[in-house]
Amino acid sequence: MIRITNNRLSLQEIMLELEDNSAGALSVFIGNVRNRGRSGNVSEIYYESYSKMAEQKMREIENEAQTKWEIKKLAVFHRIGNIKVGEASIIIGVSSEHRNEAFEACKYVINNVKTRVPIWKKEISNESQKWAEGILLE
Amino acid sequence: MKSDIQDNDKIKVKLFAILRERVGESEITITVPTGITVNYLNSEILKKYPQLKSFNNKFVTSVNWKVTAGDTIISSKDEIALLPPVSGG
Repeated sequence: MIRITNNRLSLQEIMLELEDNSAGALSVFIGNVRNRGRSGNVSEIYYESYSKMAEQKMREIENEAQTKWEIKKLAVFHRIGNIKVGEASIIIGVSSEHRNEAFEACKYVINNVKTRVPIWKKEISNESQKWAEGILLE
Repeated sequence: MKSDIQDNDKIKVKLFAILRERVGESEITITVPTGITVNYLNSEILKKYPQLKSFNNKFVTSVNWKVTAGDTIISSKDEIALLPPVSGG
């Protein structure tokens, strides 16, 4: 389940997506906006996406994780627009029969979302606005 | 007899993040001869928008939602975008 949204992310909603009676493990990663960035103090981050391509790339990453590990369910919610300090920009959840698969798949998905998906962030403070340097897509 | 008149293609190009801000638009249209490559399109874009010259080699071009090599032939039927380095998550 892949979702790119302007709305605030809900942990409860992602937990519902992951429900599976055969899953004994559920691993969740939450990426929050923090108050310090490369350019100094941050009050919020603006996220922008090329949504059609971003969803395709996330689905590709999801399929890779499904192939690598025995996963029951996987969900990735990414928020775009202006996100304040302390709020979540991304929530990834994986359910599996045992814990190792859920941990590993969750880590794989966040690492690949950060490097392969066309989403950009701009750090905003009272003094400045600066696009993050980022990684060139291959 | 061969005609000197070349057919033109109006190619729409989506811009994101810092590239969109520098140009001031999220989509631009570039008129080029038909049957051009991604590299040709990019050089035409840099000519028309010199403010993007400092970003040369700091973006990739996607054609129909896939990052594409410079020698790929494109047309106005393709969805094309310039993508600066990504920083999601």
